Amino acid sequence: MDDIQRRAFMKGAAFGAFAFTVGGAEVMLTPRQAHAQNAPLKTLTADQAATLDAIGETLVPGAKTAGITNFVDQQISGPPEKALLQARILNVRPPYANFYRASLNAIDGASDKANGGRKFAQLSADEQHNFVNLMRQNKIDGWQGPPAPFVYGILRSDAVDVTYATMEGYAALGVPYMPHIAPTARW
Amino acid sequence: MSNEKVDVVIVGAGASGSVFANVLTKAGKKVVLLENGPDWQLTDLISSDIWGRRVKPAGPPVLLEGKNPFGYVSQAGWGVGGATLHYFANFPRYLPTDFKIKSEHNRAHDWPIAYEDVAPFYDRVAADLGVSGDAKAEERWRPAGAPYPMPPMKTFPNGEVWLKGAEANGIHFVPAAVGMTSQEYKGRPACIYDGWCHVGCPIGALANPVVTYLGEARRAGAEVRPFSTVTRVLTNADGTRVTGVEYYDAQKQKQVQEASVVVLAAWSAQNPRLLLNSATDKHPDGLANKNKLVGKFMMTHHIAGTWALFDEDITPHMGTVGAQFLSYDRYAKTSYPGAFGSSFIVAGAAMKTNDYASARPDLFGPDLAAFMKRAARGITRITFFGEDQPQLENRIELASDKDEFGMPLARLIHSFDDDAMALWNANFDQGMKVAKATNAKEVWPGKGPVVPTSHLHGGAIMGTGPENSVTNSYGQTHEIANLWMAGPCIFPSEGASNPTYTIFAVSLRGAENLAKNFGTVAG
Repeated sequence: MDDIQRRAFMKGAAFGAFAFTVGGAEVMLTPRQAHAQNAPLKTLTADQAATLDAIGETLVPGAKTAGITNFVDQQISGPPEKALLQARILNVRPPYANFYRASLNAIDGASDKANGGRKFAQLSADEQHNFVNLMRQNKIDGWQGPPAPFVYGILRSDAVDVTYATMEGYAALGVPYMPHIAPTARW
Repeated sequence: MSNEKVDVVIVGAGASGSVFANVLTKAGKKVVLLENGPDWQLTDLISSDIWGRRVKPAGPPVLLEGKNPFGYVSQAGWGVGGATLHYFANFPRYLPTDFKIKSEHNRAHDWPIAYEDVAPFYDRVAADLGVSGDAKAEERWRPAGAPYPMPPMKTFPNGEVWLKGAEANGIHFVPAAVGMTSQEYKGRPACIYDGWCHVGCPIGALANPVVTYLGEARRAGAEVRPFSTVTRVLTNADGTRVTGVEYYDAQKQKQVQEASVVVLAAWSAQNPRLLLNSATDKHPDGLANKNKLVGKFMMTHHIAGTWALFDEDITPHMGTVGAQFLSYDRYAKTSYPGAFGSSFIVAGAAMKTNDYASARPDLFGPDLAAFMKRAARGITRITFFGEDQPQLENRIELASDKDEFGMPLARLIHSFDDDAMALWNANFDQGMKVAKATNAKEVWPGKGPVVPTSHLHGGAIMGTGPENSVTNSYGQTHEIANLWMAGPCIFPSEGASNPTYTIFAVSLRGAENLAKNFGTVAG
């Protein structure tokens, strides 16, 4: 990496922060901060964001306020070689936005069919839990999109990332983070 | 654009490419390494499971097909250091039986060399890179060799809790040999056991190429060109010699690098892809492929991981992501009735929060939250790596889809045979017996519909001649004297133990042979 790239990288990594646009200016925020400040999304629609918030929270309690939607949106809005998503590791073909759009649309499409026109975010907590449980087992009738268990795995990983893979997440579990290269602030 | 001709161009700056670069540069050759990813520095290696994904590929995927597709990206490298920038640095050897599976069992292929041919290079690599372990303890399973240069690493409760259950099942654990520093070594500091090895060790305690062979090669004058994507190996008009490579540079401009010798060291998927994509009228099926063996015999290890959850605090986060303990007690190819192949057993890897979550992929919501709290104190795993026999139909081929440079993507087709699946199941049964003999509160097999895999081998295998292989035992292709292959692509069988130590050793043997015979080879 050249010096300029490295400085930008270190600035983000050290703070567990990413570049978000707030009030027209680019600022470094953690996904949690971006969520709290209602940072505008670059790629996901409002409906897709509502679905991702809801399923993220169903998968891992706390994922919504930890900023799963801002995290995913920020990650799929840049070049794939800079993406930090589990989708990259599981060989999803870039651009990753295509996968997320298809997945979130599949969730809402299936929910709509099975629940009288209600999208996933409009379901009760119990209904959401049951939906995800069927999705995990590939037992949702009429699912149209990437394989449901694969979508479950990717979104669950995203939710785990923002909730538990941060310094804040480690602290919540009582696990010492022990970085070699020390982040200077908690995610 | 053409560049000044060099003695050697090496495609890939990972484990094997670094060894070739180091040996050849020190032999006085002008060496250029072309690496398709960034020139990572140690300061880029942030301790984070999220940020750690940056050192893995994100480019055009290898298309993974077959009944049991390889797990690819998680193991692959992107950038200087390759996969060994983030490997676990377990350093077990192959055993003598791995080199003569055909002779002993009438299966697969013998290697054209024996364990004894590689053993001296194991010892030299250990001294070069710095291996910690107890060689004497391992010699219950293998011929004697030199002691490791450093004593074993520290152990922690997350590894020690397995000893009782293993012994109860006739599995004797010894300290794992790892490419890490249990004490300061050649100016590199001792490991501090923080368990971030898998995202890259920024202190240099883990023997990645940046702090070992590649660093030495660069200091000796080797040139590394990052963001350089090779698309073809070029040949002379009559197809008898390679003349260099075509590549796209960081500005995505096409370049040609002429060289007297070309070494392909871009791992088992990309090496065959390059050979196949370099077809000419003299080599219509690709270079070194008159016998149509390029891309064939792709192999990977299957993984049977058994989990155990303890009530007491066993410090799951402590240690290294390599193993604390290893055992070859199920390495005999016929260890289990009804199955065939070696198994290699390790225990005691450090785990981070993402690992806790992956231990129970079925859990979500409040159940997952509750599990995470328990796992943070008490989770650990025993892992069995199992051998896959080489099969012709497990292969790399070119797909119709192309990357941004117009190069066809690789399609990697792989299925385990019945023997491998039987071995995988037997390893789970064995793992559960061991786990139940520990003091764990809960134990369960990490078994799902997808067979987890690790490590890539094959695609340009070595053998005794062109009738059965692509290269000789040094990696020189049978068809074109100045075209060499490096890395696990030349392995004709894969054993069951982690391959990187053998990759280093076989590469060192090959590189020294090339250096010794350079005048003849280069022409």
